Amino acid sequence: MTKILVIGLGNPILGDDGVGWKVAEEVKAHLPSPRLRHPSPNGRGEGGEGSTIEVECLSLGGLSLMEHLLGYERAIIVDSMETGQSPAGSVQIIPLASLPDPMSGHSASAHDTSLMTALKTAEVIGADIPRQVDVVAIEAQNVYDFSEELSPPVAAAVPEAVQAVLNLLQGVPHDLS
Amino acid sequence: MTQRITIDPITRLEGHGKIEIFLDKKGDVENTYFQIPELRGFERFCVGRPVEEMPLLTNRICGVCPEAHHMAAAKAADMVYHVDPPRTAKMLRELLYSAFYVTDHATHFYALAGPDFVMGPDAPVAERNILGVIHKVGLEIGGKVINARKAGHTVIEMIGGRKVHPCTSIPGGLTKGITKEQQKEILELGKWAVEFGQFSLKLFNDIVLGNKEYVDLILGDIYTHRTYYMGMVDENNHINFYDGKVRVVSPEGKEFVKYAPQDYTQHIAEHVEPWTYLKFPYLKGVGWKGFTDGKESGVYCATPLSRLNAADGMATPLAQEEYEKFYKTLGGKPVHQRLATHWARLIELLYAAERWVELASAPEIASDNFHTKPTEVPTEGVGIVEAPRGTLTHHYITDERGVLTKVNLIVGTTNNYAPISMSINKAASSLIKKGTVVTEGMLNMVEMAFRAYDPCFGCATHSLPGKMPLQVIIRDAEGKSVEVLKQYC
Repeated sequence: MTKILVIGLGNPILGDDGVGWKVAEEVKAHLPSPRLRHPSPNGRGEGGEGSTIEVECLSLGGLSLMEHLLGYERAIIVDSMETGQSPAGSVQIIPLASLPDPMSGHSASAHDTSLMTALKTAEVIGADIPRQVDVVAIEAQNVYDFSEELSPPVAAAVPEAVQAVLNLLQGVPHDLS
Repeated sequence: MTQRITIDPITRLEGHGKIEIFLDKKGDVENTYFQIPELRGFERFCVGRPVEEMPLLTNRICGVCPEAHHMAAAKAADMVYHVDPPRTAKMLRELLYSAFYVTDHATHFYALAGPDFVMGPDAPVAERNILGVIHKVGLEIGGKVINARKAGHTVIEMIGGRKVHPCTSIPGGLTKGITKEQQKEILELGKWAVEFGQFSLKLFNDIVLGNKEYVDLILGDIYTHRTYYMGMVDENNHINFYDGKVRVVSPEGKEFVKYAPQDYTQHIAEHVEPWTYLKFPYLKGVGWKGFTDGKESGVYCATPLSRLNAADGMATPLAQEEYEKFYKTLGGKPVHQRLATHWARLIELLYAAERWVELASAPEIASDNFHTKPTEVPTEGVGIVEAPRGTLTHHYITDERGVLTKVNLIVGTTNNYAPISMSINKAASSLIKKGTVVTEGMLNMVEMAFRAYDPCFGCATHSLPGKMPLQVIIRDAEGKSVEVLKQYC
């Protein structure tokens, strides 16, 4: 049994930073139940005997986020992204391992460490961390104005991001209809 | 034309901050500016909503200390409805808050401040993090930090309904209490937290106080400012994080004022500078005299060090012992050396753990009398708690239906905006001189000036790809970039 966690990450009242929540909520709506258990019809995919998929919306980072991931074999994190390199609403799928660790020596915030360093810390002390973490990232336009609304290009990107998550779950045997 | 060094954004800071260091023709520091973006429109976002939503809404302002906003909002909402929660409700809120303090202070020390001391301020960047600390001090320490956080989160979830963003405080108290079985579990976790607090102080004693180089660094002039200090105290003038009056002491350590939360506007005003959106709070009774310290300047500081300075002692025995040792070691009250804030934070951690045990030991904590129904017409309220990063003030005005018409917040770090700016200036001026090669370690020591304050600019954005690259641009007399240092961009 493969345990998979889909996390919508961000602040739901800070404009486009809430896009992760919106995507996660739609992903949840595509699954028969928030906690899905389905036998593998053909032996393909993760786990072989089926998988458990859970969907959560969180406003966390670093150590706290890492603590949520413990015990899962795989995680998909949906988050807003600010690179300034792509148009707002661009969707990218990035394995966490391929992201540069923003703190290597410094940390990502005054109060926490980066997720990558938090996961390495957990691994060092023998905790059960996911063997794969993928990030579905949506380029944001506004993350500095309090609002429960997404900007138009980011709102328009939600279906694509939802599909990206579902595609990542394709290797997992379950009914996405 | 001046030279210009930019640290943009600052590492280890929530939200995108920027330090600019301007050098004069000789290569000495002419001025420094510490800028942070303002998150816009929170007041507008809140107006028109029922006040009872605020404990839930405000804990979304910031991903760092939602528990502090939850508590300040709950207290303000109590006052708006003119309702005094039952003793059990107050005790449960303070118990949750004590557990939160243990997790928050532990995270700051081990993940953020610790690496500077355990690994050294100019250690290779790749080692100056929590992993480096684990490698150097031992695996055991990683497990202890994770356990401390787990214990705190367990208590927060039991009382607050959720692990991180509590949701149970409402006007008049709480929506739920705890069972006797939960009380027992919380008590056991608290006892472990006390041991963890003692362990942390011993570690600080061995690693930092046992190293003359670090002690000299702490006591040195680079990180020293003589300002006023603010902190909340109980009726005995002992530190209390959840309730009491706000006390301010002068740079000589004498009480300057002590006020009830609802009187804060009589004592605090805000100064505006053209180069930043954020305002600089100062003491009305002294006045704004610029970015300067001393008795004549209304600049005050609100941090763990400030709270120790503003109080007469700690309300719990083990923390009191450490409090006395702190002042004996550092030469009496008040202590002005900002790096001592890290030590003060650990003393607070121990106090929070002891308070956790005290509250969890009280029979009435498991009482089912955890809510008083509001019956008055709502009007106006102010709630103040000590957030880990400083005094946190929430002020709400509503119409007769309890719908918000005005919201004002002074968050923990905002209190410290002026002293942080002053500390950066002093550290940069002391370290960067004519002909100095600006090294990464040197810039980290400038950063240490503000890291001691554990600053938070309330961002809660978790946008990828991780927000805290460090970029230093050194410009020549014509303003051209002659050297760029990057940590990660």
